[in-house]
Parts: sequence; structure tokens; C-alpha cells
Amino acid sequence: MRNPLPALVPAFLLAAAMGTAAIAADKRPPLPTYTQAYTPTTVDERGLWMEADERERVQRESRSLVKDPALNAYVRGVLCRTVGEDRCRSVRLYIDEVPAFNAFMTPNGAMVVWTGLLLRVRSEAELGAILGHEFGHFELRHSLKDFRSHRIGTDLMAWASILVRNSGNLQYAMVGQMYAFSRDQEREADMTGFQYLARSQYPSSAAADVWVNVMGEADATAIGRKGRAQHKYVAGVFATHPTDLARATYLRAAAIEAHDVKPAVVDTHQAAMAKWLPIFLNDQIKLNDFGGSEYLLANLAGAGGWTTPLLCARGDLYRERGNPRDLVSAAQFYQEAIARGDAPPEAYRGLGLSLLRSQQLAEGRAALVDYLRLQPAAPDAALIATLVAQ
Amino acid sequence: MSIKPLVAPVALVVVAAFAVPASAGNKLVPAGQRIAVAKSAMTVQPGTEWNKLSERPGRKAETWTQDGDELNDLTFYGGIESGKPLFREVDRKNQPLPKVSATMLITDIPVLLENSYRIALGAASVRIDTIEPIPFAGAKGVHFTYTFSKQNETLQRRGDARGAIIGGKLYLVTYEAPSLYYYDRSAAAARVVADSVQF
Repeated sequence: MRNPLPALVPAFLLAAAMGTAAIAADKRPPLPTYTQAYTPTTVDERGLWMEADERERVQRESRSLVKDPALNAYVRGVLCRTVGEDRCRSVRLYIDEVPAFNAFMTPNGAMVVWTGLLLRVRSEAELGAILGHEFGHFELRHSLKDFRSHRIGTDLMAWASILVRNSGNLQYAMVGQMYAFSRDQEREADMTGFQYLARSQYPSSAAADVWVNVMGEADATAIGRKGRAQHKYVAGVFATHPTDLARATYLRAAAIEAHDVKPAVVDTHQAAMAKWLPIFLNDQIKLNDFGGSEYLLANLAGAGGWTTPLLCARGDLYRERGNPRDLVSAAQFYQEAIARGDAPPEAYRGLGLSLLRSQQLAEGRAALVDYLRLQPAAPDAALIATLVAQ
Repeated sequence: MSIKPLVAPVALVVVAAFAVPASAGNKLVPAGQRIAVAKSAMTVQPGTEWNKLSERPGRKAETWTQDGDELNDLTFYGGIESGKPLFREVDRKNQPLPKVSATMLITDIPVLLENSYRIALGAASVRIDTIEPIPFAGAKGVHFTYTFSKQNETLQRRGDARGAIIGGKLYLVTYEAPSLYYYDRSAAAARVVADSVQF
């Protein structure tokens, strides 16, 4: 503090220029300028848009597209409540049934959300944090800037670089193989997304929560596959994204600084997901990722308790790994689900098959008989009947 | 530092350069003759000619085709042992496939195929359509049909499989082709082969 005066003068001038005290009090960085019905202006941008239009056409006809109007309306609603009604109106939203943590937005304004993301976020605010980040990329025209700086066309944009164990491995990166983003751009989009969140009805701390959970799951996957859990603060030379630890840290710092106290809103995430939860859980269980799936289930149960779909999914997870001790645990999870009174017939099927594999033949067959009684027209009824008769 | 370690890789490159192309290893399978498949005791008798591809999906598997790989594939899995995946793992560390278990029930066979495909093809759109019991070479087996498409592809593929756990090992015969044109083209010929499985 040798000479405080020079610093004070510009600050004073700035405040004076802004005119009102109310605006001067808003120290938050401004949002990007919103342009309605933006059209590409340069040859580069027109080229990018043409490619994006073609990819969007393929995406729209994808067999894995989730067309459920209710789920689409929910995700769009969260996007609108995060970035604002005017901004979200022109976005085309596509929900793709891919069990990995990813979402991306193309330069022409199409947003693709993978169902693995919907499964992993636990509230509207967490979903809003991710969608706001992606929208930030779009609004800041990152694809174009990146294209200009690299001139090498496309590269993969995997949302969670650390989730390579979970998502990149499944060649899903091919879908996101469109737009490379430098780490600076990621950071910029993180902070823009954060600004949307801070101006929305959602608590801005949700942005950091997402990355903490992503790290937890990556660790669980690594340990489940007898690997080593590790997180670095500094990203490698060739990383396209900042490390999850860095993101969680700077987003948390921003949330503390923003210190937003907002009235609690009714969170509709669980209600909107209710119909799809068993399906998305099934997609996850089939990935042969015991550690990651177990972490995810526990995380979901932490938010709303061990509900029937979660118990059934956990039973399936243990039954499919199939060690003798797993089969005992699986049977217990199915029994807990059945005891709750609202279990689907498949819970009896899972229980019966677990018991049969544990050599508890009489009890297993009894459970399978229950399954056939509850679901006589099941597609596998004839096959299950042969197991009962054995 | 000796020069020795260099010799082996160089030799390998030379051998690879002069090796015959992979396609040359494909063989004609004549019609009407009983033939052992997938390095196992499993034998089949085709009613028409097929081509056996030199490239195997796994150590104990082999693929036949009529029009070309992925156009109509008839694949035999000849006794996959407990602890082994259905087909070769591309990335064992980060992308492990589910393993066969000696205690598997016949209901677990379609699940094993579905999960392996989901991981290997990166597709959540693998669906088991029908499933029924069937005698397989005298054992209690399962017959199931399925549809799938690969990630980023709109082409739908159909599959028809039958298999059983015999002596703690998995035996499976699958027929797969694009639903468009090719599936129906060779389905009958594939069925003749699958029906003829014996040990």
C-alpha cells in the first residue's frame, strides 16, 4: 500500500460512469451479449455450422434418442431456468441414451445430453450447472475460436476427461468427436456457466458439487478394477480440460465469493426421473463397472434413501458380478425391495435366480414361481419355467 | 548398450512386410460336410457354402460369412471357460468385458452377450427381443433374438443366437446381419448350420 491513490481514482471514475449505486454494487462479470437468431458470419463459421447441421440430422434420427416429451420438457425447463427464457428458446435439445457422463452443445445451437448425465446429477441445480456450462461454450462461440486456432477440424470433446475409465472407453468419444476445447475455454465456460447459475434460482454451489461426485465415482471405478485412485490439480500437457480437482476448487471458491442466499425451491429432479430411473440404472449396471456403479447407487441413495429401483439395481449389480458372496448380497437387496411392497415382478426374478445360483434351489424356485404368477406374459416366461421345473 | 534388443523388432517388421494379407487366410467351407468349429469338439454340417474368416473374434471362436464380414456373420463360440470373456478384450484395464462363470444359468447367456456388446460397441441400444428354451446338442439351451446398432450408426442389425452351458463352458452360435436385406438373405442357411450342432 505504498501509493493507494492511483488505484482509487479509476475505481471512483468507474463507479461514477455506471451512474447508479445499484449497478455499481453488482461486481459480477457481465454475461455474454445475447443475439437472437444469430447466423454465421464468416466462411469458417458457415462451414462449422454446415457440419453441425449434418450431425444434428444424424442425431435427430438416432435410434438411441429419448423422445419422451415429459423428460425433454424437464431438461429444457432446467436449461431455461438457468440461462433465461430468451436464451434457451432457440436451443434444440436431444437426449441420447448413452450411459456416460456427458453433454455438449454444437456451434449451431443444438444441445445433446446423455442419459448418464441425468442419472448422475442429483438435483435441478446440478443439472443446471452442467447445461449452463455447455450453453456458455455455445454463446462464447468457442468452437469457432478453437477451429481458428487449430485448423485441424475435429477432435473429441469428452466431458469428463478423468472419466476415461467410465466413458471414453466405450468409444462414446466418437459422438463428441466434434469440437476441441482448450483448457482456457473450458475454464471460461465454467465461469460463464457459473454466472448463469448465480443469476438463476439455483444455488451456485451446485457447480462444484458435480465435480466432487465425478471424482468420487472415478476413484470408485479405479479401485473396483484394482487400479489406483488419483487426482491431480495440474492438467497434463495434452489434456483438453482442466482436472476435475481444479474445477471443483475454483468453482467452490467462486461460490463462496458469490455467497448467494436464495429461497429454497421445490426440486423436481427425482419426480422427473422416476419413470426413467430403472432404465438408466439398467444401462449403467450393464457396463461391468462394479465400483463406479456401486458409488453411483450409494450417491443416489444418499439423496433420497434406498428406494425400490435403487435396491433392485443393486441386486442386479451384485448378481451379475456373481461371486458367491455377491449372490447372497443380491438376494438380500431383492428381499428388501420386495419388503417395501412396490417392487416390480423382476425383483422376484432376480431373487429367484440369485438363490438358484447359490444352490438354494427350493427358495429360488418359489421366487421364480412368484415371478411367473405376477408376470405370466413375461418375454422369458418359457425359459424361467424350465428353471422351475428342473 | 548392445544392439541386440533392436534385432527382434526389426525381424518382426520384415516378417510382417512379407506376410500374406489377412484375407488370404479365409477358407471356403464346402456344403454337406461335417466340420469341427472354433477349435472345439463342436461340429456342424452346412447345407450351403460359407467362407471361414481367418480373423477370429476370440481364441475359441470363429466366424463364417457369405457376403462379407458384418454383412452376414455366423459365429461359433466353442467352449468359453469360466473367467474368460465372450470375445477378445480391446482394453482389459479400462474396458473389461463380463466373464463367463461356470455357475451361470441359461438365463445369464443372453445377458452376457448383451452386456459384452454394449461395452464393445459402445451402444446402449442392444435389445434382447425374444427368448425361449431350446435343446442345444442334447443339452438344455437357450434361443434368443436381438437387435442392436453401433454407436453413431443408424443401421439396425439383427441377431439370432442359441447356446448352452455344457460342462461349465459356454457354447454359443450366433447369426448376425443388417436387418436391411442381408439378414433374410442368409437366415435360412444359418439356421441349417445352427440346427446341425453336435458334439
